[in-house]
Amino acid sequence: MAATRARPSAREIFATLEYGPVPESHACALAWLDTQDRRLGHYVSGKWLKPEHRNSVPCQDPITGESLASCLQAQAEDVVAAVEVAGKAFENWSGLPGASRAQHLIRLAKMIQKHQRLLWTLESLVTGRAVREIRDKDVPLAQQLLQYHAVQACTQEEVLAGWEPMGVVGLILSPTFSFLEMMWRICPALAVGCTVVVLVPPASPTPLLLAQLAGELGSFPGILNVISGPASLGPVLASQPRVQKVAFCGAVEGGLRLLIQESVWDETMRRLQERMARLRAGRGLDGAVDMGARGAAAHDLAQRYVREARSEGAQVFQAGDVPSDSPFFPPTLVSDLLPASPCSQAEVPWPVVAASRFRTAKEALAMANRTPRGGSASVWSERLGQALELGYGLQVGTVWINAHGLRNSEVPTGGCKESGSSWHGGLDGLYEYLRPSGTPGRLAYFSESMNYDTFGLAVPSTLPAGPEIGPSPTAPYGLFIGGRFQAPGARSSRPIQDSQGKLHSYVAEGGAKDIRGAVEAAHQATPGWVSQSPGARASLLWALASALERRESALASRLERHGVEFKAAKVEVELSVRQLRAWGARAQAQGHVLQVAELKGPVLRLREPLGVLAIVCPDEWPLLAFVSLLAAALAHGNSVVLVPSGACPIPALEVCQDMATLLPAGLVNVVTGDRDHLTRCLALHQDIQALWYFGSAQGSQFVEWASAGNLKPVWVNRGCPRAWDQEAKGAGPELGLRAARTKALWLPMGD
Amino acid sequence: MSARNWGTELDLSWISKIQVNQPAVLRRAEQIQTRRTVKKEWQAAWLLKAVTFIDLTTLSGDDTSSNVQRLCYKAKYPIREDLLKALNMHDKGITTAAVCVYPARVSDAVKALKTAGCTIPVASVATGFPAGQTHLKTRLEEIRLAVEDGATEIDVVINRTLVLTGQWEALYDEIRQFRKACGEAHLKTILATGELASLTNVYKASMIAMMAGSDFIKTSTGKETVNATFPVAIVMLRAIRDFFWKTGNKIGFKPAGGIRSAKDSLAWLSLIKEELGDEWLTPELFRIGASTLLSDIERQIYHHVTGRYAAYHDLAMC
Repeated sequence: MAATRARPSAREIFATLEYGPVPESHACALAWLDTQDRRLGHYVSGKWLKPEHRNSVPCQDPITGESLASCLQAQAEDVVAAVEVAGKAFENWSGLPGASRAQHLIRLAKMIQKHQRLLWTLESLVTGRAVREIRDKDVPLAQQLLQYHAVQACTQEEVLAGWEPMGVVGLILSPTFSFLEMMWRICPALAVGCTVVVLVPPASPTPLLLAQLAGELGSFPGILNVISGPASLGPVLASQPRVQKVAFCGAVEGGLRLLIQESVWDETMRRLQERMARLRAGRGLDGAVDMGARGAAAHDLAQRYVREARSEGAQVFQAGDVPSDSPFFPPTLVSDLLPASPCSQAEVPWPVVAASRFRTAKEALAMANRTPRGGSASVWSERLGQALELGYGLQVGTVWINAHGLRNSEVPTGGCKESGSSWHGGLDGLYEYLRPSGTPGRLAYFSESMNYDTFGLAVPSTLPAGPEIGPSPTAPYGLFIGGRFQAPGARSSRPIQDSQGKLHSYVAEGGAKDIRGAVEAAHQATPGWVSQSPGARASLLWALASALERRESALASRLERHGVEFKAAKVEVELSVRQLRAWGARAQAQGHVLQVAELKGPVLRLREPLGVLAIVCPDEWPLLAFVSLLAAALAHGNSVVLVPSGACPIPALEVCQDMATLLPAGLVNVVTGDRDHLTRCLALHQDIQALWYFGSAQGSQFVEWASAGNLKPVWVNRGCPRAWDQEAKGAGPELGLRAARTKALWLPMGD
Repeated sequence: MSARNWGTELDLSWISKIQVNQPAVLRRAEQIQTRRTVKKEWQAAWLLKAVTFIDLTTLSGDDTSSNVQRLCYKAKYPIREDLLKALNMHDKGITTAAVCVYPARVSDAVKALKTAGCTIPVASVATGFPAGQTHLKTRLEEIRLAVEDGATEIDVVINRTLVLTGQWEALYDEIRQFRKACGEAHLKTILATGELASLTNVYKASMIAMMAGSDFIKTSTGKETVNATFPVAIVMLRAIRDFFWKTGNKIGFKPAGGIRSAKDSLAWLSLIKEELGDEWLTPELFRIGASTLLSDIERQIYHHVTGRYAAYHDLAMC
């Protein structure tokens, strides 16, 4: 170990040409901790708070174990107080003109610039990460984020007209995070006018420093508040009525999975090992190390994984100039893991790379997509055609072609599948903290007594309900699955009453098996629909619009039967037709090219279909809501399973008659029945990529809870009806945002 | 110098599939300059090591025997004796690796070094330096004359026309003939990478030069607008590594042009260490072509030893 060895003389070094220590002084970080007497509290409303009678947790240097400070742990009342402060600050902050908010963010960027050394040494000291990484990448990017979002704030009134800030945002950080991840979330939130309460895990001083820097700008002290506390405070923060949005921030990047084509396997492995052998690990505050350490827990995790992989017969290569003692762990290359072994399924921990071989690009794509994670991936190939095809096919949020790990404030980053569906950076990142103007905020509806086990479990049995005085022709009957009307699996029906309470007709009583069938049919239709050009999608939607127009009087009379006035019914049909045409037209304007600083070459911002989208339609506007939701989903290339309005499902079934002849089979599936039950079936289905629910508050709560199973994106209305006839709320951009996911495809160029 | 590279048969399959990923090379080049620094004793030792890699060069129209003589003297005594003593390095025989001059100045240099009683090799540029736009016959004759005058290392420039038009066989044949004309002298082949248009061409030209028997490949003449850059160096070093993996022959590398500061020289040393390893950090396999670098290194050593920055007159001119 370097510390115990006498310092070598120049004469000795002349012979060995070894590297020496390049310690970065962290005196300023310690001095900053001293200003708090090595006892850190919370930073709320521009002031340090150190409430009495709180537990404290030591903050340690992860490498030496030396105690740096103690951090007070918040209790529920501290969280409540911080939310209160943020709520008050919101009233001022959100009312400011965008240009003034921009000014403030720029001032914060300058503040960070002035104190950057303190920032990077503190972060490196407490996390053990290489100081070089923080100094050269994170700190400049933090400033860039503030600057970019200042520009966005400045143009907000113009570009984001029709949207308003959500309110107080609660941000919950995971135990291993980088302060940059916090910046990705607070910058857009602050820019659009939200205020933030951040709950940081015990012993994370950097967010507190950032809050202090923001607080010392003088004005608007309450916009960024940081409290440190245990994870158990997360639900407390989330359930505060004033908190309108909760954002999470996961762990720092783990290890990597590497897929290498068989024909270049040997060559690639040789080069990889050669390169790995030259990596240097050491104390994060050393200016000449490639990697630091991430503490004992990360070390043990990596060690366990490697031991397990070895026992499963994998090849393990370890190299690099790494101190032999914990918490340092050498960069490790694991190869020849069998696909079925537990290690191939498990997440690869840092600093491990698990390599496996593939034969064809198609196989590589299948292997890469067969994982629940969908954050980012890089493709290395000199054949542009092949690289692009893989880039489009990968189910991830970010793809780098012949590059890795690039980030820029203008490029949205996010993920799909279990990597979450929220976005940071770019315009997409701003929408996370906005809602259409005039829509109600998040209601603090949360029923403690909700029984998730029984919600929608049983379907009340239905009996004949009196004389059927149906109009002629009789309403279509059956579940619309796979392009045709089918009898329900349960072989029973439910009566639909008209506005007078008389029996209108029966609809099929769908159940779990029917949902399964509908999802299967939708999956089969997906590849065909995705590969259709936007123009082809548009013309089908337009054809459907014309069909609806021809069916106008029938549809209007169905609506009338349900108590809609004749005139209003006609308007609803007309609006529905217009929606189909509008979304058809919008199908053609998807995605765009970004040009970012520091990168030669474009970044493509793609809008990709979600896959199979399940929609539980609202009771209000039974035709218009159904058609609007359907049109937006189809225009973006999704296939859908819909549950139409419960009270008035007949107009939707009428539309199905046209879809049967116009659309590819299985693209749209409509299942009628008990809405709670069908909602339950949909929410618990793992192979649905997104779920929209417009119904009761209770149903919304259930959907959010159940969908956590595969973290599919959900959109629920919490029991609030929408004005579907109005552009902003009904049909507007929000639908378009939700109906597709963004992918950023980086294409560096140069020869 | 190390054992001579006798070259290999021309094998175009070694270069036909190569495609250099330029953006990735640029990123690696950017990283490597910030990731490795050395301080204190390490810095002093590394700088002294860098001195031993220098081909101390003068390539000006106004070179005469007197400034060549001064250059040779500086090559023998690159760092002030008292500074070396302070570092306990005075008995290490630290000199530069070679002196490098125009062909017409070779005899001056050989004489001056002989007078000074040292065995530092004399390198001469040749083959229509710097453009290479003269007839092959005169280019070959130039090599022979420089060798006759006592140059033991010949820095030849390649014919860029052959690279830009993809005539790899012709390039191989020319360098082969240079090799022959050198006889026992070492052949250092200047690729003039600033004029090769792409990194892929740099790789291919490197490979051809090594197959044809170059003992060193060198980035540039110092007279092009773009000189020794890190991205180009990475590509050449990877080619050297590939050649080593294929044949077992270690070929040397010489960046030249634009390396002026001590800090630059440290970055070059760490680049070699990172890309090829410590085995390449010897004057047999690594040279830095430079004229003003040495005075900055001496300045830094002065500062390391005395804790003060040197005045202009504290150090001898070269």
